[in-house]
Amino acid sequence: MNASTSSIARSSFAAGTPRRFSWARLRSPASLVSPLLLLAAWTAATRAHWFSDQVLVPPQAVVDAFREVWESGEFPADLKISLFRLLVGFSLGSVGGVALGVLLATSERARVYLGPTFNLIRQVPTLALTPLFILLFGIGETFKIVIILKSTIYPVAIATMEGVRTIPRQYLEVGRAYKLGAWARFHRIIFPSSVAPMLTGVRIALGRSWMVLVAVELLAADTGIGQLMAVGRQMLRLDIVMVGVITTGLIGFSFDRILVGIERALLPWKPR
Amino acid sequence: MAHLGDRLKPLRGWLVPLLLLGMWEYTSHRDALHAYAFAPLEQMVTALGELIGNGDLWANSVASLERTSIGLLLGVAAGIGVGVLMAFSRIALTLINPLYQSVRQLPLLALTPLVGMWMGNGEPSKVLIISLAAFYPMVLSTYEGLRHVDARYTEVARVFRLNRRQSFRQVQLPAALPSVVAGLQQAVSFAWIAAVGSELLFNVGPGLGNLMMIAENNARMDVIIVCTASVTALGFAMSYAASLIASRLQRWRH
Repeated sequence: MNASTSSIARSSFAAGTPRRFSWARLRSPASLVSPLLLLAAWTAATRAHWFSDQVLVPPQAVVDAFREVWESGEFPADLKISLFRLLVGFSLGSVGGVALGVLLATSERARVYLGPTFNLIRQVPTLALTPLFILLFGIGETFKIVIILKSTIYPVAIATMEGVRTIPRQYLEVGRAYKLGAWARFHRIIFPSSVAPMLTGVRIALGRSWMVLVAVELLAADTGIGQLMAVGRQMLRLDIVMVGVITTGLIGFSFDRILVGIERALLPWKPR
Repeated sequence: MAHLGDRLKPLRGWLVPLLLLGMWEYTSHRDALHAYAFAPLEQMVTALGELIGNGDLWANSVASLERTSIGLLLGVAAGIGVGVLMAFSRIALTLINPLYQSVRQLPLLALTPLVGMWMGNGEPSKVLIISLAAFYPMVLSTYEGLRHVDARYTEVARVFRLNRRQSFRQVQLPAALPSVVAGLQQAVSFAWIAAVGSELLFNVGPGLGNLMMIAENNARMDVIIVCTASVTALGFAMSYAASLIASRLQRWRH
């Protein structure tokens, strides 16, 4: 498990690597000291007017800006469209990733014919594909969903491949002895015995896809939370930009926690 | 005949890429509308020659690599420093860890509008984003490496009555090295992706990302493909170099 996690983690980007040390320690009240100090310093700096409004706004201004864009309906709409894009691209990518991973791990022929292509495209950073995809698909929804698909499918496929490869041979032999069909073999044997690494891959993919989506919306979009930040910046509204930054962080964090919850519900025996 | 079949076997992996290229080439020659997005292959070769000839590819690659190296250097140094601090001081751990854990939740490139407002669209903003990409994994790997030193090693240090400094240099540092090196490999690939991403988003100055964006505005698919291929090749080369350095360091340890 450890070896496979680290090799997937190496290919992940800005996704929270599942580690143990982080959250257990944050439950103590002492961990509130530095965030509170930071908040106090922030408030003091804005009270004393050390910085201009384009550089630092008081915490209250961020709260006000949040209320402003929320009540105008602009923010809920942007949030909705961003989450929709993520959901569609991510679902397609996860399903595709599991299918591709199982195929590559179980079929020698698939490995021979598709393996080199798979590994070649794997090397291309998703963000470096944005200009290419924009020219191919325009800046509409297709482009965003395709790019999320690309950033999701690889971590999931790689994790699935590693998971399926480590399934004990006997399990597969039992399936053969019972003459199970392809689908029965998948959902009775392959899926249950490789769901743990699959979930790790899905977690990495979700964090990465969220970042890629926000970046792509910053670059080319007329809606979405990234676009809200881009417009905020053009209008020199630091408060709106901060609302966007904080929200994207909270959303990414909640997704990760949700997946950890799913992981725990499905795999209560897994060490943490 | 079987003999020929055996010889062709290793080439089977090339079948799919060749088919895809064939389809691309076919589409590009269908009509003017398709030629707009699907640049013919021969045009890409010309574009490659052109970009090498006028020095654009070289200059922009060097700019990207330079900025990645600076960002890496800063991020790795700061990351190791903070990691060491957190591993050895409880106070530092209590103060830094909550901030580190929460800032890390912000998607790196979502910070670009904020960083852009603070530092503009130029070099400092890009270098900051790149160094953050390298900083995060370095903090974690340094901390983990130092915290999880095998208890037997620390016992040996105690038996030999090494003082804190000696035991750090002779026991903990070498024991933490594999973890630090793994973090370094991660940092290298993250930094390169962050470099390209920040070049796409901060559209001032030279760099492969900027060259791509200009090509996108001019609808030059051939130039974009050459750039994407260069980004991929350079990223691959950097990861490879990092893994060579990693195995060299591991060997030195034994």
